[in-house]
Amino acid sequence: MSKINPAFNKELEKYGSVNYNACYNCGTCTAVCSLSTEEDSFPREMVRLSALGLEDDIKASLKPWECYYCGDCSTHCPQEANPGELMMSLRRYLTAQYDWTGLSGLLYKSLPLSIAAFILTFVGVILYALSVDFDELMEVGHLFEGIAIATIGLVILMPNIARMWYFTILKPKVNVPFVKYIHSMGELFVHMFTQKRALGCDDNQLRWFEHFILVIGYLSLLFTTVVLDWFGTSNLFVIILGYVMSAIVFVVTVDFVLSRMKKNKEVSKHSQPSDIFFVVWLFFMGLSAFMVRLFIDLDLLEINKWLYIFHLTVLVQWALIIVPFGKWTHFLYRSFAMYFAKLKKA
Amino acid sequence: MNKKKRIGVYICHCGGNISDYVDVEKVRQAVDGGDAEIVVMAKTTMFACSDANQREMVEDIKANNLDGVIVSSCSPKLHMLTFRNVTERADLNKFTYVHANIREQASWAHSDNKIGATEKAIHLVKAAIAKSRYADALETNKIKATKTVAVIGAGVAGMKAALSLAEKDTEVILIEKENHVGGRVAEWGSLFSSTETGKEIIDRLYAEIVRHKNITLMTNTEVFENKGSVGNIAIKVRTITEGTEKLTEYTVGSVLMATGYDHYTPKEGEYGYGSTPKVITLPEFKNMIDNQSGKLMHNGAEIKNIAYIYCVGSRQSEGENTYCSRNCCTSTIHAAVTAKQKFSGITNYHFTRGLRTYGKQEILYADSLRAGDIYLQFYEDGIPTVTNEGKKTLVKVNDVLTNNREIEVEADLVVLVTGMVPRANSTIGTLFKLPKGRDNFFNEVHMKLRPVETVIDGVTIAGACQGPKNITESVNSALSAATKSYSILSKGELETDPLVATIDPEKCTWCGACEAACPFDAILKIDNGKKIIAEINNSVCKGCGMCAPVCEPDAINLIACSSPEIMSMIDALV
Repeated sequence: MSKINPAFNKELEKYGSVNYNACYNCGTCTAVCSLSTEEDSFPREMVRLSALGLEDDIKASLKPWECYYCGDCSTHCPQEANPGELMMSLRRYLTAQYDWTGLSGLLYKSLPLSIAAFILTFVGVILYALSVDFDELMEVGHLFEGIAIATIGLVILMPNIARMWYFTILKPKVNVPFVKYIHSMGELFVHMFTQKRALGCDDNQLRWFEHFILVIGYLSLLFTTVVLDWFGTSNLFVIILGYVMSAIVFVVTVDFVLSRMKKNKEVSKHSQPSDIFFVVWLFFMGLSAFMVRLFIDLDLLEINKWLYIFHLTVLVQWALIIVPFGKWTHFLYRSFAMYFAKLKKA
Repeated sequence: MNKKKRIGVYICHCGGNISDYVDVEKVRQAVDGGDAEIVVMAKTTMFACSDANQREMVEDIKANNLDGVIVSSCSPKLHMLTFRNVTERADLNKFTYVHANIREQASWAHSDNKIGATEKAIHLVKAAIAKSRYADALETNKIKATKTVAVIGAGVAGMKAALSLAEKDTEVILIEKENHVGGRVAEWGSLFSSTETGKEIIDRLYAEIVRHKNITLMTNTEVFENKGSVGNIAIKVRTITEGTEKLTEYTVGSVLMATGYDHYTPKEGEYGYGSTPKVITLPEFKNMIDNQSGKLMHNGAEIKNIAYIYCVGSRQSEGENTYCSRNCCTSTIHAAVTAKQKFSGITNYHFTRGLRTYGKQEILYADSLRAGDIYLQFYEDGIPTVTNEGKKTLVKVNDVLTNNREIEVEADLVVLVTGMVPRANSTIGTLFKLPKGRDNFFNEVHMKLRPVETVIDGVTIAGACQGPKNITESVNSALSAATKSYSILSKGELETDPLVATIDPEKCTWCGACEAACPFDAILKIDNGKKIIAEINNSVCKGCGMCAPVCEPDAINLIACSSPEIMSMIDALV
């Protein structure tokens, strides 16, 4: 027995849904979707669950993560109900549901709150930076990265993945033998590092490639700075690797930022602030890291310490806002969704 | 009967439809100069109906001085009138024309047997020649027609029809059973796609009607007698005002029937109707939202959640009403949208069997979706249930749009979307002998090509007495029926087909068998001064022939299908 909750659409609107109520269930979206299959069909089903506000069913579903938003459904929708954007807003909504702190939801739903969080972290970094000398700042900055990754991972991300597992596997009483968890593990890593499912979207090869390069660049940059101590090293190979990776990150991100600004593709027509923050901060991070290392090599950083403070601010905001509570999490949820989907399959 | 001496025969190839299977040249040779040489001309032609051949026929008839013409081609339904007109253009009486069907009855029916098909075609043409020898010149009958129309029912259809006729200088007697005009439309407030309410529309029409000198409006009036036939129909009406009864008699040329429909009344207990006070019908709901303001209340409680259950009394697989009532989907959504706009905090839940907001009404459906109305769908084998739990009324359904998930809605009000049914009181239909369809609404002659005529000559139908219609459709049919009724009477006289039954007064003994057999009420019982005999009302007789075989003394002959004609055809065929 399910109870309808018509108020749900007001809630979902705050996560960016547009006009999905106009749906008259023709199913064109599902028919044109190149990822939807007979056994695993969407997005109509998700539009329907959203229209009726059946939240438990939505929380138990992995389908929003199975969509890679080519936008064909929205292009062909005769009612202009934007099923593609509905799937996107459901991903935001689910991210908020998985997050035990509730902060994701607050930040998604309120732009002023997000801006306040960015300002707060900015002020914090400035105050701290002014209170210590520059060498110590550089050292703490490096230390911060490692500590933040470990803490956020343990305190926020892992519990959230556990909640996702609870909502999608445990609560709906899906019976999965333990060995299956082990055997299906490969799925998790394949999707985490390749996002290969996105290749199934029609005419999406370039977008997949860009995204793939960006993910590789980002992860390598993270490794180079945190583990290989790019800013502190004198190893030529590491230095060059850092330059290449940071360059990849900010160059590729330019295309993402531009398409969100131009709104010329279905996927970027209804971008939310959280989407913009994500790509813009990624761009700043790559660019500022590149510049910091360049200034170190040119021996200019001491007299341009504001550049480092800018980089640190971006880094702190990224690590404390965007990674745990923002769009960064789709990196984890998408891959875990493919893993859980495999577990659910008989 | 003058036997003909000079007959011309045309045998059509019909492109190949006939000549691919029937050897048309062989048919021509078999009949040319045959039957004591009265066939003076026989030709084959590629397309008998072509303009060129029609012109050639006119020349042939004149050049050969023909007195009878036969075309052997397709079904007479398709081209008999075409060739009758050709003979008329050649100054022959059109009823001397005889048609032979060698396509449907020979080439198409026997495409597997060409020799047999050819043989059968020869027989058919020979039978036509035999009949042609007897085919008399006939004249159409002319009857004087009274230029007055009785419009029965003063709803929106009847009122519009009356005005339309009156504007064409036709007298109209507008007869209404109730004490007020406007019928169902007068009951409605806000309507979809018009800024006027139902009441305002009726007020406007009423003002025009009372102003019009050609219209006599009679309310509280019913027709109780009907005599005569098209052109001259004598009706008697009874008007009851304040207990006094007044009888009036009119002679009218045509009757336009616009008696409307009844609302379907749910059966006791159907979806909790009658037993659950929260369950009401769509007309009741429409009155509620029209008459209330501020808060929407029912039985002292404020209404927030409204469940609408569609197709109540329509589209039944078990039951009489197999049809769709056409207007209720739109009407319900309009009412739901209006309620949402007028009262605060309303949520609409529509339990549908698939929506039929056809045409421009689709916009309304789209609007209501965007406004957040919830639509659930069921099939007839899984209809919603209405149950009471304590003070709560729950509507449950397995929603086909959500994997048949059982969905429950707690409703403050359940609106049963009741459709249209034929009038429970069917006396007027019986009085005019109007045939009804399977759904018990009045039947037209042909749904597409003669949509407002009935098989009773001179009686047209308009509005929802013919079947479910919305206002637009009712008015469309009313204007159409008005034009049809007018076209019957516009010349002041009527031409009727001469192909009717005839009575031989010498042989007739009045047994009444023919009267019982006649489906059109065309047999009158008269005293001709010597004895009681049957007489044919030529303006009503359709020449169907039902009376002829039941006549024991063989006193009935059908013009153009007389015994000598039929016997001679049989001789040619066997």
